[in-house]
Amino acid sequence: MSEMVTMRPMRPVDVAAPREAESQTRETVFDIHALQASYGSNIAIKDVDLEIYRNLITAVIGPSGCGKSTFIRCLNRMNDEVPSFRHEGEILYHGVDLYGDGVEPVEVRRRIGMVFQKANPFPKTIYDNVAWAPRVLGLKKDLDDRVEKALQSAALWDEVKDRLKRSALSLSGGQQQRLCIARAIAIEPEVLLLDEPASALDPIATQRIEELMRELKRDYTIVIVTHNMQQAARVADRTAFFSLDAGESGRHGVLVEYDETPKIFTAPSDKRTEDYVTGRFG
Amino acid sequence: MAAVEPPLTLRGDARVRRRRIVNRLAEAGATIAALAAVAVLGIVVWSIAKRGGSELSWGFLTKDLPLFGQPGGGIAPLLVGSALLVGIATAIALPVGVLIAVFLEEFASPAVRAPIQLSVDLLNGLPSIIIGVFVFGLLVYGHPQNGWAGSVGLAIVMLPLVTRATQEVLRLVPSSHREGALALGASRWRTVLGITLPSAFGGILTGTVLAVARAAGETAPLLFATSIFGRTINWNPGQALPNLPVQIFIWSESAEPEDHKRAWASALVLLIFVLVTSLTARLALARSRRKLNR
Amino acid sequence: MGVRVTFQQELDQLEASLQEEGALVLRVLRGALNALGQRDVELADEVIAFDDDVDRRYLQIEEGIQYLLALQTPVAIDLRLVLAILHTNLHLERMADYSVTIAKLTKLVANVEPDPLLLQSLQDMGERAEEMIRVALDAFANRDLEAAESLVDLDELIDRSNRRFVDRVLEIVGEPGLREWVLRMVLVSRTIERIGDHAVDIGEQVAYLLTAEFREFTDASHRGQSD
Repeated sequence: MSEMVTMRPMRPVDVAAPREAESQTRETVFDIHALQASYGSNIAIKDVDLEIYRNLITAVIGPSGCGKSTFIRCLNRMNDEVPSFRHEGEILYHGVDLYGDGVEPVEVRRRIGMVFQKANPFPKTIYDNVAWAPRVLGLKKDLDDRVEKALQSAALWDEVKDRLKRSALSLSGGQQQRLCIARAIAIEPEVLLLDEPASALDPIATQRIEELMRELKRDYTIVIVTHNMQQAARVADRTAFFSLDAGESGRHGVLVEYDETPKIFTAPSDKRTEDYVTGRFG
Repeated sequence: MAAVEPPLTLRGDARVRRRRIVNRLAEAGATIAALAAVAVLGIVVWSIAKRGGSELSWGFLTKDLPLFGQPGGGIAPLLVGSALLVGIATAIALPVGVLIAVFLEEFASPAVRAPIQLSVDLLNGLPSIIIGVFVFGLLVYGHPQNGWAGSVGLAIVMLPLVTRATQEVLRLVPSSHREGALALGASRWRTVLGITLPSAFGGILTGTVLAVARAAGETAPLLFATSIFGRTINWNPGQALPNLPVQIFIWSESAEPEDHKRAWASALVLLIFVLVTSLTARLALARSRRKLNR
Repeated sequence: MGVRVTFQQELDQLEASLQEEGALVLRVLRGALNALGQRDVELADEVIAFDDDVDRRYLQIEEGIQYLLALQTPVAIDLRLVLAILHTNLHLERMADYSVTIAKLTKLVANVEPDPLLLQSLQDMGERAEEMIRVALDAFANRDLEAAESLVDLDELIDRSNRRFVDRVLEIVGEPGLREWVLRMVLVSRTIERIGDHAVDIGEQVAYLLTAEFREFTDASHRGQSD
């Protein structure tokens, strides 16, 4: 006896929808226009225009020397520490020019934190590493809670909760890097800039940092510089590809393409991008 | 068939042999020179110890200075006075020296840095007698002798030593630590106070101890400022303070053989102090260097 | 926290979607067989419309595979799984298309009174095909190599039903009113056979996934000649 089967159309359950179209409804955090950065007479990057959106992971990729680090260091004014640094164009952070009159680099860096390529914990205890900046910036209330929350967000709490008074230098490389992330989170920034955060780590530690980033993007806006394309492919919602351009004043970095990551890695618009991600770029 | 080559012996020719002999001679010469330096130090220590060792005793270290021409007595006032003088000098030289070093390493632009660095280096090479004359002219002339002036003189001697040592240790602090602190929104000064200086603390301490060891034996600045003093322990730097180096000089000039013996003994005390502090300081410096580089 | 959790989730989602597509295909086939057996033109139209859903799902899975390959660079068993999903996706889509073919053929001769025996053998073949699809999907889900290899034997059952079908065709092919109907039914039987072939292909993909070797399953005609 055959069953009566009706052919009502079913709504298909979402296949792995890859990070699509999130940026269209997102708030803009950084609005960058015609940015040019130079050290003395060397132009490092030129004509950079892009917007960075909230609660997304934006990756910056490109060959060595294309200005990725210079670019990201403009976003929290770390380049100010280099005496010969000059810039043109503007970087608007929620509409405010980062380099405007009266803008204090210290205030900028409280809201826009940075984690460096090689973990650089202070030669202090684990607790003090996380607690130092809040203390210095006047966030002294409930310091223990703040430290614990930061270490938990960095997925390090369980591993160190019994040895907060031990030296930070006793941790492994991956743990130290997570400590640096906790340290940056402790002052409650809005943005986290990660300059090749996993390049000095082994693959397992790298994976953990990547998983951590995915969790963190719920609360923070993340910009990551990486020379590892596959990392950008795995982790980033949007990817910006910088490359070198030869101009009259020498070689400088330019923004070639900036789009949703799936598009960059399946059908990039610019041939230079395609050459780079397929590995045909010299 | 090619011509047969002579078999390899790897023995070398006359030129190689000559070079080997020259190498050996040079090595020997360097070793002898090094041994000579050690020998000189050994001779100095030995001869002072021999001549002054007999006079050393607990009483010698705790009694007041002997009355003129009398036997016995001790150097307690000298020890107290020297300690005071050096102590006050350190209190002046340490903060100023560290601040200068911090300024040079952390804040100065290259244009400002060069002349100030040069001044510090020149100060380092200034003969102590000139410092003494300067202190005399500025602080003593027209006033009675006093400990303050002597301390200032010693402080000038100590200043470049503290500055140099601090600079060296500040340079050893990895710039990644500074970067990390700045990236957290700390100001330059907060970074120096909270991160850079604490890391450099060990080295600064060592540098200070070495400066103290040096200042303890400086005679010229004290000759003009605090050379006429009493027999008993004096805690007041407003007056001339008794001190070891000047008293050693005075006793060595005396006709009394007793005084000569006292001079040797005092010299031995001074020597032991300088050697022990120098040695400890250098060992501590090596340890703190290793810690920073981990 | 394990490593590559998100990647594993995306992989699992892709496979779950594939299984859902398989369920859709079974419904489509069942619908087509029912329409055939009951001469239900409305049902046949529904089947044809429903194929669009399957096609949508097919494209989604294709896109998912593209992104997974580009963004996650899977290797080893992950890569074989993605490739197996890629091929199986195709086979499922083809099976749905064949079901549509059956529905269309049904519509063409719906007004003809069918021969019950012939119809029965077609229903038997259809049920065999359904079973093969189920076995193939289960073998994939459970990573069951034996079940995958058993598909060859099940294909043999379709062959037997087909032989009965051919016998009956030869018996009734002379009757005048039935000639067009019989022609269409012969096409239906071919279509069902092809559905069975695709199910065997899915079994081969399962074997590839598990053994990293791609080999064609030996069918009844080649038994005894392999290795």
